[in-house]
Amino acid sequence: MATPPPARPAMSHSSAFLLPSSAPRTGSADAYAVVVLNQRLPRFAPLLWAPQVRVCADGGANRVFDGMPELLPEQDADDVRLRYKPDVIKGDMDSVRPEVKEYYSNLGTKIVDESHDQDTTDLHKCVAFIAQNSLVSDVSNLCILVLGALGGRFDHEMGNINVLHLFPNSRIVLLSDDCLIFLLPRTHTHNIHIERSIEGPHCGLIPIGAPSTSTTTTGLRWNLDKTCMSYGGLISTSNVVDEDQVTVTSDSDLIWTISLRH
Amino acid sequence: MDVMVHSSSFLLPKIHQPAKTPANNYTLVVLNQHLPRFMPRLWAHAKLRICADGGANRIFYEMPQMTNDQDCETTRNRYIPEIIEGDMDSIRPEVKRFYSNQGSTISDKSHNQETTDLHKCISSIRHRTPSHEKSDLCVLVTGALGGRFDHEAANINVLYVFSDMRIIFLSDDCLIQLLPKTHQHEINIESSVEGPHCGLFPIGAPSTSTTTTGLKWNLSEAKMRFGSMISTSNIVDSEKVTVQSDADLLWTISLRNLT
Repeated sequence: MATPPPARPAMSHSSAFLLPSSAPRTGSADAYAVVVLNQRLPRFAPLLWAPQVRVCADGGANRVFDGMPELLPEQDADDVRLRYKPDVIKGDMDSVRPEVKEYYSNLGTKIVDESHDQDTTDLHKCVAFIAQNSLVSDVSNLCILVLGALGGRFDHEMGNINVLHLFPNSRIVLLSDDCLIFLLPRTHTHNIHIERSIEGPHCGLIPIGAPSTSTTTTGLRWNLDKTCMSYGGLISTSNVVDEDQVTVTSDSDLIWTISLRH
Repeated sequence: MDVMVHSSSFLLPKIHQPAKTPANNYTLVVLNQHLPRFMPRLWAHAKLRICADGGANRIFYEMPQMTNDQDCETTRNRYIPEIIEGDMDSIRPEVKRFYSNQGSTISDKSHNQETTDLHKCISSIRHRTPSHEKSDLCVLVTGALGGRFDHEAANINVLYVFSDMRIIFLSDDCLIQLLPKTHQHEINIESSVEGPHCGLFPIGAPSTSTTTTGLKWNLSEAKMRFGSMISTSNIVDSEKVTVQSDADLLWTISLRNLT
């Protein structure tokens, strides 16, 4: 008689970090860090600034400097810049404007200058930096929220998605105005709590990098049942969340994506 | 193994066509996102222009900002798509009426909810292209990247499902296309309009052996997979890049400011 495979541990996910700060937080992470890459800020960027560590990757500092006052036009620009300042600006400093770097440096932001390293992307460097420098008290339950990782140059987007695969044990969420994505590693079964007030209903499960021979879900309008997914064949896109909890089990790492409401 | 030759001559102004272009039969498909700034240039090259549903809204409202025409009406009368195709749930009634009156064929596929608008368009392009013209055909698509990630993923899947067709996705920042593993690839670089940033991605399945020439960081029988090494932020170092791989790869190159 064959022994059944050991049950995989469960991993819970929640987008509670997107709720307005007055709402009760039932997030699955205790600590959050925000990384801002060099693209236009999404409209909800101010909502994410409360967490413990805010890192701008090089030109991401320009985006925060210009973008935060634009998103909060009824407030005084210098007040906004002070309240929404990064803790760290990291990178080779070839994109950040000199006056932006000086402005934040005067406010106490740490500038971590480094020579250009071809082998890793800006996001990879920031994720490694956050983990290595104990900037957050409890790294084991840390969730890194990333702005500016999607869209723009396609090779950057692919490099950023590869960071999710390179750090499968870390919680890293890529956010844009339209959606969020994160990795569901095959080592776990996944419980995704849906915050209906801010996300959904459109969702998808994408096998980037390798096919899946068996994926099973609950909670979606078109559930998968030990279904094969691959590029060139079926991938789950334009699906719909039908319940408050979606579960996913797969033999392959999958990218989960859900649309964000405006 | 057969060689497949690629060139971005459709990005050049129409009069500046190089002597050997692999395709001279361009079809343009416009999806429902902001038009790239160089859309008039693509329109001029295309023999056939198809708007996928809300793509028609984009032409109607955004083209006037890209031309030197004196008024919107002049621009709108100049840029009439031959076909508007899709499930028609995004196109505005006034836009549909305008193009219908101007002679565009409205191809309503709302009964088919199984496939995306892009898939429907590519499928019907393939059906209406005679076999002897298929090797010259190149489909240029705008609006396939960015926006909702599941839409982008589904659009990229169309490249894999129709891997025997030349289909190129274009945005303001870059272009992407599939390099099927069935061929060796020669990519002629038009350095006045594209580069230097480029990359190669094994999105569907890993590669155990990829070899390139013409890049700053060439690959030599290299393994590539997500979760390990993929070629991002590479640089084109030559007028011709060659790629040979045991896996289907997505090629991307950045676009220079074309306006």
